[in-house]
Amino acid sequence: MEVISLFIPCTVDLFLPHVGEATVSLLRRTGVRPIYHKEQTCCGQPAINAGYREQAKKAAKHFIRVFGEDEKVVSPSGSCVGMVKHHYPELLAEEPEWRRRAEELSLRIYELSQYLVDIRKIENVGASFEGKVAYHESCHILRSLGVSEQPKRLIKAVKGAELVSLNAADSCCGFGGEFAIHYPDISESMVRDKVEDYLSSGADLLLVSEPGCLFNIGGFLNRNHPGKKVMHLASFLAKNQGR
Amino acid sequence: MEIKTEQFSEVAKKALESAQSYAFLKLRANFVHKRRETALSTFPDAAAAQTYGAAIRREAIARLPELLEEFEKNALANGARVFWARNAKEANEYIVQLAKERGIEYVTKGKSMVTEELGLNEALEKNGVKAWETDLGEFIIQLLHLPPFHIVGPAINISVEKVRDLFIEKINLKEPTLDPAQLGYAARLFLRDKFHRVRMGITGVNIAVAETGTLINVENEGNIRFSKSSPRTQVSVMSLEKVVPNLEDALHLVRLLCRNCTGQKLSVYVSMDNTPKKDDEMDGPEELIVVIVDNGRSKIYQDKIAREAMRCIRCGACLSSCPVYREIGGYAYGWAYSGPMGQVLNPLLLGLERTQDLYRATTLCGACKGVCPAGIDHPGLFLQYRAKDVLGEKTFRARKRPGMERSFFRLWTWAVTRPWLWNWGVRTVRPFINKEVHEGVLRKVQGPFEGWFRSRDLPAMAEKTFHDRWRETQESQGRTQEAGGAK
Repeated sequence: MEVISLFIPCTVDLFLPHVGEATVSLLRRTGVRPIYHKEQTCCGQPAINAGYREQAKKAAKHFIRVFGEDEKVVSPSGSCVGMVKHHYPELLAEEPEWRRRAEELSLRIYELSQYLVDIRKIENVGASFEGKVAYHESCHILRSLGVSEQPKRLIKAVKGAELVSLNAADSCCGFGGEFAIHYPDISESMVRDKVEDYLSSGADLLLVSEPGCLFNIGGFLNRNHPGKKVMHLASFLAKNQGR
Repeated sequence: MEIKTEQFSEVAKKALESAQSYAFLKLRANFVHKRRETALSTFPDAAAAQTYGAAIRREAIARLPELLEEFEKNALANGARVFWARNAKEANEYIVQLAKERGIEYVTKGKSMVTEELGLNEALEKNGVKAWETDLGEFIIQLLHLPPFHIVGPAINISVEKVRDLFIEKINLKEPTLDPAQLGYAARLFLRDKFHRVRMGITGVNIAVAETGTLINVENEGNIRFSKSSPRTQVSVMSLEKVVPNLEDALHLVRLLCRNCTGQKLSVYVSMDNTPKKDDEMDGPEELIVVIVDNGRSKIYQDKIAREAMRCIRCGACLSSCPVYREIGGYAYGWAYSGPMGQVLNPLLLGLERTQDLYRATTLCGACKGVCPAGIDHPGLFLQYRAKDVLGEKTFRARKRPGMERSFFRLWTWAVTRPWLWNWGVRTVRPFINKEVHEGVLRKVQGPFEGWFRSRDLPAMAEKTFHDRWRETQESQGRTQEAGGAK
């Protein structure tokens, strides 16, 4: 049986544990045995984004110590995977041994949909859903990992689900971590645009593969359009399985 | 021009409140985006063409000192004069002096961002030399005393009604009209008269070619060509990063520039100048003077990462791609260069201290990097600038981060590298975050997060984290074999 190591980002761990559970259940149903290192904390993205590179380096080294020996690491966040994949080697560029370990790890870490479709060659996970869904292309999944087709293929293979097109699907929702805190006016205007595009898409449900977007779009919907929902792709695929 | 980079949030807020500018920005961004895509698709392989452009700019920056010397040598051999300006003051004084020596009353100008950077118009006017902007957009904003809204379309946000009223008041538009062609014609008549009698023209430079000493300008209105060919004295002002090795490189960049900028395969006019008028030639300027502007760039050049910002060819593709620019437009960026290109360039040229918002008001979405034909990694640079603040780098006039933030990250680092402390921290912080939970969501959290909660909720912090849940399941099922400890 294929064994993978789960990387549950701190956002999921602390605020969206059900997304982590959905990831586990989804992986198990596709014949994978996930393991989970209890020593995992945060990948260091808040530090590097705030300019604290030395601190981010320490987080990176901790991460490499925890995950460095795993054959495959899978995570339900493209942004955090992008951090490990692209920023770790660059952060540790001047420490050859650590850099080597970072580069090796970067080849073995995958975003969930990328893992399922590219590595496992699975598109149909046996889920069903009656209705129309739209997919928001989160920035880092799309641009840092180049993952766009994979989630859509998984969605298209869901029985009964119709993937409808979303205007400006690849436009940022306005989260950006500390951006949303420091520039709430601009951020709000961006998420309003995203939600308007969702509403006019005719979709019954919006899917994302990124915890940050889930906070932002979900938080805005909850406050302003309580009837409309956004869901993590992992939850969508896991929740509607085996009916 | 006046530097207003510190008023970013204020100006951005005003733009957000303006329904007109909002609707316009949306419409235009989509339009430009589609045009650009179509134009790029005329390359057999658009991605390869972009990558090739990035390679040209990368090489140009890597070899910059040597290419500039080669350019100067060839420009001099062609009969041009070359002046190296260390800063804005030197550049302005030199150009003012040129005008004075020649008894110039007015100059015509082609749209040029570097002269906006220098504040050349103000310097000229202070010395009694009128500067006429001759690009239609620049002409309009000059009459309105506004900064450029967009580097390529400086007046794209100005309504046609406003232009009509302006032209009636300022350039004797006789019959009120809302027909853009008629308005353009009125401006043309007015400016033709200026070109007719002009004795000194000042333009920017899109590309300078080291191997041949050629100056290339790309435009759609013909006003730059007029400014370069009508007067006796032609002054071409270029920031020093505009140079590329040879004509082949330059022409590839022209192809990319036009497609990325206005969605054209080629702009209406592309002019290349090597020499002033030769004795046996009928027309052309008698003197060709090139002003090469440093203005802090050679200092930036010492930083191998930051200098990659100088690859920029000013196409403006990043502006239309930027989701933040699409919300707030160009004024908020507060200086000559707006949008992502301004966000990477202005902090280097003005110092980090007064441009904080430029590299912080970004979601790091990477759309700019994705469209950039020069291969600039804008988000990567934003992070580098932030790191310079943390380190307090003096060369870049960094602003030290607040003590609270520094302490926070000290604690955070401690916790991140010590799982027991991390988990203890989570348990300790949770009651404070979850003070007011309604139906599993937070509707308000005091402190720095208030802005978020004006329009958004947040899931409450889970009473049981994933970590807790995993452990419990493992314990209850006794499946310890799945616990996989760290190695």
